[in-house]
Amino acid sequence: MRRITEVFGGRRNLLFSGLLLALLFILLLDLFFVHHIFSPFVYFYLCFALVIVFYGIYPLYVSRRLTRYYWDRTKRHHLAVIGLVFIIFLVAVAIFGPFLTQDPTKVDFPNKNLPPVGFSAEQSTYDRTTGQFITRETPGTWLHPLGTDDKGRDMLAMLVSGTRISLQVGLMATLIAIFIGLILGVVSAYLGGWADNALMRFTDIMMTFPFFLLLVFIVFIFGPSLWFIILAIGLTGWTGTARLVRSESLSLRTRDFIMASKSLGASDRRIVFHHLIPNVLSSVIVIATLSIPGVILAEAALSFIGLGDPTVTSWGLVLQAGQRSLETAWWIAVEPGIMLFLTVLAFNFLGDGVRDAFDPRSQV
Amino acid sequence: MKRGGLQNYIIRRLFYAFLIAFGVVTVTFILLRVGPSSPADKYLANISSRTQDPAKVIEAVEARYGLDRPLYQQYFNYLVSLARGDWGWSFSTSLPVIELIKRHWIYSFQLILLSMLFASSLGILIGIYSAVKQYTKTDYAATFFSFIGISIPNFWLGIMLILVFSVQLGWFKTYYDTGLPLFSLANLKALILPVITLGTGMMAGYTRYSRSATLDNLRKDFVKTARAKGLPEYIVIGKHVFRNAILPIITIIMFDLAGVVFGGAYLTEIIFGIPGLGRISFNAIFANDYPVVITITLIGAMVVLLTNLATDIVYTWLDPRIRYD
Repeated sequence: MRRITEVFGGRRNLLFSGLLLALLFILLLDLFFVHHIFSPFVYFYLCFALVIVFYGIYPLYVSRRLTRYYWDRTKRHHLAVIGLVFIIFLVAVAIFGPFLTQDPTKVDFPNKNLPPVGFSAEQSTYDRTTGQFITRETPGTWLHPLGTDDKGRDMLAMLVSGTRISLQVGLMATLIAIFIGLILGVVSAYLGGWADNALMRFTDIMMTFPFFLLLVFIVFIFGPSLWFIILAIGLTGWTGTARLVRSESLSLRTRDFIMASKSLGASDRRIVFHHLIPNVLSSVIVIATLSIPGVILAEAALSFIGLGDPTVTSWGLVLQAGQRSLETAWWIAVEPGIMLFLTVLAFNFLGDGVRDAFDPRSQV
Repeated sequence: MKRGGLQNYIIRRLFYAFLIAFGVVTVTFILLRVGPSSPADKYLANISSRTQDPAKVIEAVEARYGLDRPLYQQYFNYLVSLARGDWGWSFSTSLPVIELIKRHWIYSFQLILLSMLFASSLGILIGIYSAVKQYTKTDYAATFFSFIGISIPNFWLGIMLILVFSVQLGWFKTYYDTGLPLFSLANLKALILPVITLGTGMMAGYTRYSRSATLDNLRKDFVKTARAKGLPEYIVIGKHVFRNAILPIITIIMFDLAGVVFGGAYLTEIIFGIPGLGRISFNAIFANDYPVVITITLIGAMVVLLTNLATDIVYTWLDPRIRYD
């Protein structure tokens, strides 16, 4: 038992891998024998939750003193706290919102282009009895508090659905990218020599493609589905993390505490899992927070230009519809954009605060 | 500085750039061939309406473009034709791809150039001014607006500009007029909104960077010396501080030129209907015109490579302290 634990680099990793395998097993059962009790997304969420619990909440709980220290430092940035509160609000909306709002895909042509509450807009409607178009002022109704789009879909429901999509893409794609970057960075720094050279040259090649262009190219080839977009962003967005982790690991490797650990006979695995990774994690958390807004924007931009998943209602898709009807219904373009803007702003605020908190050189 | 050192460095970098270009082409080729649909299918999507037997068409297309040969031969042929400047045939426009790009690159170029000028000049000025006036209301306002500028999605900003200035106020056209001569005031006016759309995010970034770079330099000893000598403040800032602060910003501007601008210009062209490279590849995607999409991806990668190289060389010229040997 002790040996197995050692191979995985600690009890926590062992338990995590075990649960992950169990989840995979249930997924395979579900896919091939029981046939789709849950959608594959549920499993992805569970994986995500496992990672958060094991490598986010648990370490924070164990080292409460350090958690308190970081929190105190982050708290001094008022904007970062505002950002965090808004993000928590978004997460709540993403989880519970879709149960409380109408169906975002329900088309209702008689109620199309309704303005939000408090506004009114001129609308021409076709009168069947006289056979003529009549123009009249239409006020917003509480049935559709944020109005409806050009097909009569409820804007509030679409925005709530978009929140879910954006957070899904933002968090999952970042997680994938960070994971790949962390592994490649540590491996590259630790192996050194030929392997390091090859990995870093590959990173150079990936960095040479303009990110968005590469994304468009990949989605063009493989076809638009939300899954694939998440994977594509994750598989292309790791380069910055890999470089950062590599350079940090290289400088850590020569530090005294790692030398001491080595001379006491610690294995490579132990050094990597107990000293290297925990010490680069703070930079990784900062780069993760700061790269989430970019990922959310990339997904929105993809759906805006029509390369998003056509089966889900995302902010970019609503925005695209909004540009088409700018002259008749301004709110369709304004509302998803404001959500997108506030979300990106919140993550940028939080990222800035987290960076200052985790960077020991900065004196707040 | 030894000239030989720099020359060797440039030669080494060029060789390295060549290797990376090779890698980029390889990655593109692999992506293209591991995709679920073969290039022949994409061709087919365009011609199938005119013919009866799709299987025959696939066969003919595969034979014509060498897609029936082994993969390594295809790869080799692909490299050879790229090197010979034969970038394929765009069937949605019935032109050679190279001809298509020759006709349209200028639209992207003017947009990017003007936006860079707008963003860098204004951004650096505001950044330095706000650093000099640190902790005043002006400084806080500049910091706040740069935060907003960084966070605002540029495609949404573009739509909002159209909504306010074109739809509501009617000052501009909602669409870019392609009939305008390139070097004219009317064209410049038509580019105002696109340039603001593309430039705002970058400008905000440069404001932040130049503010922090200026602050770093303001605390240095040589600034104290300059002030102690009794130099007027505008010379201290404009000459001593500015020259040192500008260096890191130039790297960032060059980096943006390659990466951020390509993504941003892409979206800006689509929103305003500017017929640049972004708009072309956007149209090509929906027409399944894959030679155009590949070529524009490759051009994007090449621009990044060349600007990285240029940055390094410009750097040695701007900062004599840097040596490459």
